[in-house]
Amino acid sequence: MSLIPKRTRVRAGLVWPGREVDGYANLIGARLRKLAAAGSTGTLPVSGPTDGAIILHGGRVVHAESSRTPTQRTGDPAALGLAPGEAVSPVEAPSIGMVAGLLAMTEPIIDAATELLSSKSRYAKFRRSEAPVAIAPHPIPVTALLTEVERRHRVLSQLSAVVTADTPVIRSSALAWPRLQVSAPQWALVVAMSDGMTPRGVAMKLGHSVFATTIEFYRLIELGLLAAAGREPPPADGRGTALAFMRAVHNERDTDG
Amino acid sequence: MILPAADELLAPVTAIDGFRLGCLIDASTGMVLASKENPGGSPPMSAVAGAGAADIFHVLTMLSGRLATGERLQDVTVTFNDSFFMVRPIGLDEESQILLLIMADRQRTNLAMAHRTIRDFCASLAS
Repeated sequence: MSLIPKRTRVRAGLVWPGREVDGYANLIGARLRKLAAAGSTGTLPVSGPTDGAIILHGGRVVHAESSRTPTQRTGDPAALGLAPGEAVSPVEAPSIGMVAGLLAMTEPIIDAATELLSSKSRYAKFRRSEAPVAIAPHPIPVTALLTEVERRHRVLSQLSAVVTADTPVIRSSALAWPRLQVSAPQWALVVAMSDGMTPRGVAMKLGHSVFATTIEFYRLIELGLLAAAGREPPPADGRGTALAFMRAVHNERDTDG
Repeated sequence: MILPAADELLAPVTAIDGFRLGCLIDASTGMVLASKENPGGSPPMSAVAGAGAADIFHVLTMLSGRLATGERLQDVTVTFNDSFFMVRPIGLDEESQILLLIMADRQRTNLAMAHRTIRDFCASLAS
């Protein structure tokens, strides 16, 4: 048994076989998997570039929040007319509104977890609790959450050559195309931003997902409507920068935990 | 899946002859929200198929963005030698960017009937 505290061993790069150096996110993932396997209920505080916490109920994730993503706003169960803990029955009321409502509740959780599980985040002692402060109607299986977070990190890695969540963005002074067509949500982003704002800043202002907003900013840059401040515009042929969700999917079987 | 509770929503489209896979995908993030696969079919493929559908939607959105004809995507059908790959945005308003993806066996699927089922399904969800 080592006399060096676990955290110090990891910091010094003296990690166990099979673990990546500086792979704190892997350690958080491993901790979450253990908590899920034990059916734990309580709060896992996370610190690092982003402070926050992941809350579990019965081994499933019911809430996550970070200091660098918007807090759950439209994700309130009341938005669906539900009492806390009350489940939605998709068979009784199938509608796109219901799916959008479920998405509005889960997206802030996944968005926060994507920030919290960065490579430099660390977890603190798990605080067990009988009754968590928030219960989402549909808890997210830990395995599904970790798979999605990994996918998002790979997407963000693709985009980083052009824009990150913290890249200042400006409106393009000259459009390369005589006419452009954008969707209503994209136009709302263009209207909400001012020169020098970052995708994260706009997402925080609008209460939108930081991940989705960063992708939308990438699309607007690709269209030529916006530009990353201080960076060369992406090459017109898209070499090496094109967003491809396919490339972000890991070659593994789906598991629902 | 992220929203396993929504998987049952896809039950009506499993009635399509030759049905192999159905997915609901958030086009803005490429995340598969729910999926239903034909039992006894090929290994799980919803993650890859969903990512492909989101990529197709992204490319066609960029196309319409640069053509600027004021049109909106209604559906996409890709024909492989053994299967059909059909994508349709659900919802009438632009705020909704949820896609329905259906993969079906080409030899067993009546394409017109499949389109009709998909259109009716999307209309019932949007109503």
